[in-house]
Amino acid sequence: MTFEIENVSKTFISKGRGETIKALEDINLTIETGKFVCFVGPSGCGKTTLLRLMEGFELPDEGTIKDDGELVTKPSRERGFIFQDYSLFPWLNVLDNVTFGLNIAGRPEEENKERAYKYLDAVGLRDFATKYPHELSGGMKQRVAIIRSIINESKSLLMDEPFSALDVQTKHKLEEQLVNNWRQNDRTVIFVTHDVEEAVFLSDEIVVFSRRPGRIKKVFKNELPRPRNRGDHVFQDFVNEVTEEIDESEDD
Amino acid sequence: MTDIRLYNKLEKLIFPIILIIIWYIICDVLMLIPSYMFPGPVEVVNSFIKLLVTGKLFKDIIDTLYKVLLGLFLAAVVGITFGIILGWSKRLERLCTLIISILRPIPPIAWIPFSILWFGIGTAPAVFIIFMGCVFPILVSTIDGVHRTRGVLIEAAQSFGASNMQMLTEVVLPATVPYIVSGLKVGIGIALMCTISGEMIGSSSGIGYMILTSTSLFDTGSTVVGMLVIGIIGIIFDYIFTKIQERIFW
Ligand SMILES: Nc1ncnc2c1ncn2[C@@H]1O[C@H](COP(=O)(O)OP(=O)(O)OP(=O)(O)O)[C@@H](O)[C@H]1O
Ligand SMILES: [Mg+2]
Repeated sequence: MTFEIENVSKTFISKGRGETIKALEDINLTIETGKFVCFVGPSGCGKTTLLRLMEGFELPDEGTIKDDGELVTKPSRERGFIFQDYSLFPWLNVLDNVTFGLNIAGRPEEENKERAYKYLDAVGLRDFATKYPHELSGGMKQRVAIIRSIINESKSLLMDEPFSALDVQTKHKLEEQLVNNWRQNDRTVIFVTHDVEEAVFLSDEIVVFSRRPGRIKKVFKNELPRPRNRGDHVFQDFVNEVTEEIDESEDD
Repeated sequence: MTDIRLYNKLEKLIFPIILIIIWYIICDVLMLIPSYMFPGPVEVVNSFIKLLVTGKLFKDIIDTLYKVLLGLFLAAVVGITFGIILGWSKRLERLCTLIISILRPIPPIAWIPFSILWFGIGTAPAVFIIFMGCVFPILVSTIDGVHRTRGVLIEAAQSFGASNMQMLTEVVLPATVPYIVSGLKVGIGIALMCTISGEMIGSSSGIGYMILTSTSLFDTGSTVVGMLVIGIIGIIFDYIFTKIQERIFW
């Protein structure tokens, strides 16, 4: 068991008018170690909020979140987090960005570099090691951000719509690499997305959220055999099934 | 292309040259103003050559620059360190904000009496005044820079397990560098002004001292040389800092 989320609620008070927004209400969810879990649901239903609570960036108003039995109270190096926005350090080049986590953990810098080159090789960015983030395309930046987290070999990886800004080809390629990397490790991945097809391609489980206040509407087990093919009938049927579930919650 | 650029550069010179010609006609040709009131360009050039040959000008420039850079350096060390700490800790900032807002608007020259009382005459009082003049702009823009550090970068570092100290040195400080540099740029301008005023009152060397003492000897030419030298030093520093700012790409 990696994550145990019990009775979690979260309300925001918007700064201007003092209005309150109930982002999450009574969330109960258990995520087992090594699973690849996707969060899907309409915009504003609290997916990012729950992911941020799981990392420990913010604390729930009610309820508890445990990671391997320990209460989550602050961010941890055991939970890698990949942001929707670009989050590379603009003053560091690609190599130094990728080794950031290893370096501040006090690991030997030469080894860190070697390891970084291996990862950069895998995503075709070796030649960009000495470039700075502003010299990269959006897809390259996101690849760097992903390996910057993956390289730390944290127990789990929380990803907030990491591929949403990318073109379809790049996206499919990165999805494949992500799955391959995940299958070689015993790492739990939580992946937020708008794209149901992406969720079906990647996940073991799909958690569908309903709109405000954010609640878990349904949890789908995804037992399609891997490697998966987007063209398969069963694949598309499953996509439709999940999409319908989301659309229903969109209506009310 | 290059023709236009060259023209643009030369264009800047047109007005100053006309001004010098008018100045020359009024003072040196028509002799409308006696030189003990204001020198003509010929006398200024003569004073310049004299100051250059005796080595006095060089010595005074070095003397003034030394004070400016020392004062600025001390102000930078204090301003950046406290700026990072106060910007990071909401609590400490709240505790200090009133003191800073009261001290900040006091013109650095107002510290001259105390600087003489505490440090006597010489380099130290001037450095103290420069310090008082520069430290607040540097402090305030550092604090501002810390506040503007993107939250996502701080959170990213947290998810890599950065300690508080690592957060300050590896994330907040580099993110704040552009703001620190603009604080330093404002600071150096103030430092120049402070140095000259400081040297005029509590000093026995430097360009400020030269400016003041030469008028009492009716050597108005040297006064103008001193004034122009300050202006030129200002331009050079401004150019250097502008170049540094251009090289910072975040
Ligand atoms: N810091 C905050 N302050 C105030 N309201 C917030 C804050 N963060 C989120 N909210 C509100 O909480 C609700 C859920 O937001 P959240 O970002 O979790 O949605 P989401 O499911 O990730 O949406 P999207 O798919 O568009 O990214 C929204 O109504 C949002 O306006
Ligand atoms: Mg979101």
